[in-house]
Amino acid sequence: MGTIGQITTKVTAAVCAGAVLLTLGLAHAAGKTYTVATDATWPPMEMVNANKQIVGLDIDYLTAVAKEAGFAVTFKNTAWDGIFAGLEAGQYDIIASSVTITEERRKKYDFSAPYIDIGQILVVPKAETAATLAAMKGKKVGAQIGTTGAFEIKKVEGVEPKSYDEIGLAFEDMAAGRIAGVVCDEPVAVQFALQKAEYKEKFKIVGSPFTTEAYGFVVRKGDAALLDLLNKGIAAVKAKRLDEQLRATWLR
Amino acid sequence: MSEPRPAALVEVGDGAAIPVRSDRGLFTAWRIAFFGAFAALAGLALLKPDPYRAILKFVPDGIVVTFEVTLGAIALALLIGLVAGLGRIAENRLVSGAAALYVEVIRGIPLLVQIFYIYYALGRFVKVPPLASAIIAMAVCYGAYIGEVVRAGIQSIPKGQTEAALALGMSRAQAMRHVILPQALRVILPPIGNEFIALLKDSSLVSIIAVADLLRRGREFASESFAYFETYTVIALVYLVITLFFSKLIGLLEERLHAGR
Repeated sequence: MGTIGQITTKVTAAVCAGAVLLTLGLAHAAGKTYTVATDATWPPMEMVNANKQIVGLDIDYLTAVAKEAGFAVTFKNTAWDGIFAGLEAGQYDIIASSVTITEERRKKYDFSAPYIDIGQILVVPKAETAATLAAMKGKKVGAQIGTTGAFEIKKVEGVEPKSYDEIGLAFEDMAAGRIAGVVCDEPVAVQFALQKAEYKEKFKIVGSPFTTEAYGFVVRKGDAALLDLLNKGIAAVKAKRLDEQLRATWLR
Repeated sequence: MSEPRPAALVEVGDGAAIPVRSDRGLFTAWRIAFFGAFAALAGLALLKPDPYRAILKFVPDGIVVTFEVTLGAIALALLIGLVAGLGRIAENRLVSGAAALYVEVIRGIPLLVQIFYIYYALGRFVKVPPLASAIIAMAVCYGAYIGEVVRAGIQSIPKGQTEAALALGMSRAQAMRHVILPQALRVILPPIGNEFIALLKDSSLVSIIAVADLLRRGREFASESFAYFETYTVIALVYLVITLFFSKLIGLLEERLHAGR
């Protein structure tokens, strides 16, 4: 209950608050919502949880970046094969999907500053004695199609590469004994080989990562404004050491 | 209450509609499509060697695998289809029931799901190599459709034929082998040709289980080069050339079959 005077005060207050919010939004020159593609089959970087939400280190990281730089993001689960084609076609503005910054990709797309360093690693059944990927000659080794892991396998002469739509299918094929090894990003390897109940008895990780790579967020070539926002946000996240917290949460 | 019967049933085949047998002109749809696709592939390779020549160099072993899957699956599917078709019309209730159950179950599950099922779900119990599992999945699926074609073909032969054969002293099996099946074959072959073309096209689904067929080879190339438009243009044209070639071949076979009448 209130008098007309009180209501007027409330309305005025609301209008003022709105104006302040508007000004803040303009001050950030952003406040825009960007659509982000992610292939949520790559735990713990991006995955779909039991509540059908897309979660993971990448998701939290980009959300933090967006908060720091003053824009909003909505995530869209997208198959990895063709994720770059969708960016080109304008179906989304950013790819946040554990994308390693490579020279070939850089020719076609723009990358943010690197935000996490990782490497490729080999996972094999427990009985396997090979100590490197090169020692897997004459054997089938799987990876997800179009990933740096798949490119690394192709580089080794004599190893038969197998490409899968999802990394989980490669691990499942190894569990069924059809392939002798799987190459993927180290955090993913740790997730599948050491933490999944049905795999941790069967698989082991071979040595340490054999490549040095860095993830970057991807935007269309020439999308300088968005790139600038992303880089500012990444710098802020690193300055506040939020990235270390995220690593501690997601990479155990 | 019965619904009014439609005046005519429209039958649309999956492949053998092209070439239209009566179409004898110089510029038939088939010729334009077939030679056009060929010319487009050759033209692209000549005029824009990068990346078209690289794509054409990358995919041939995929074409071989696509053929292996298709031919292996159709051979096995014909066998399964014949058994299922004969089973459907068997006097033995158990046999006809089993055949009907197989047809209903398989036709009710999408092929893509069947491929996943045979490879990954059953993969936990039996280890079947990818190519064999692709062939088995396609054959089990298409066996059900071909079984229905076989059944319809046999049932299209008038009962009098069987009765006459029995009157001549043949056994049921003999009547089926020497009288019914040869006649049914003529009816069955055109729809089986259609099934073959459909199977050829559906074989692209096996790329999902890491079988390196034509489509997967294309996807692998595109994933590394990012030349999506160029790669899928080539893949589509190559599929088109292959399907048109086979539909022509089937058309010619049918023509010979009818000429013998």
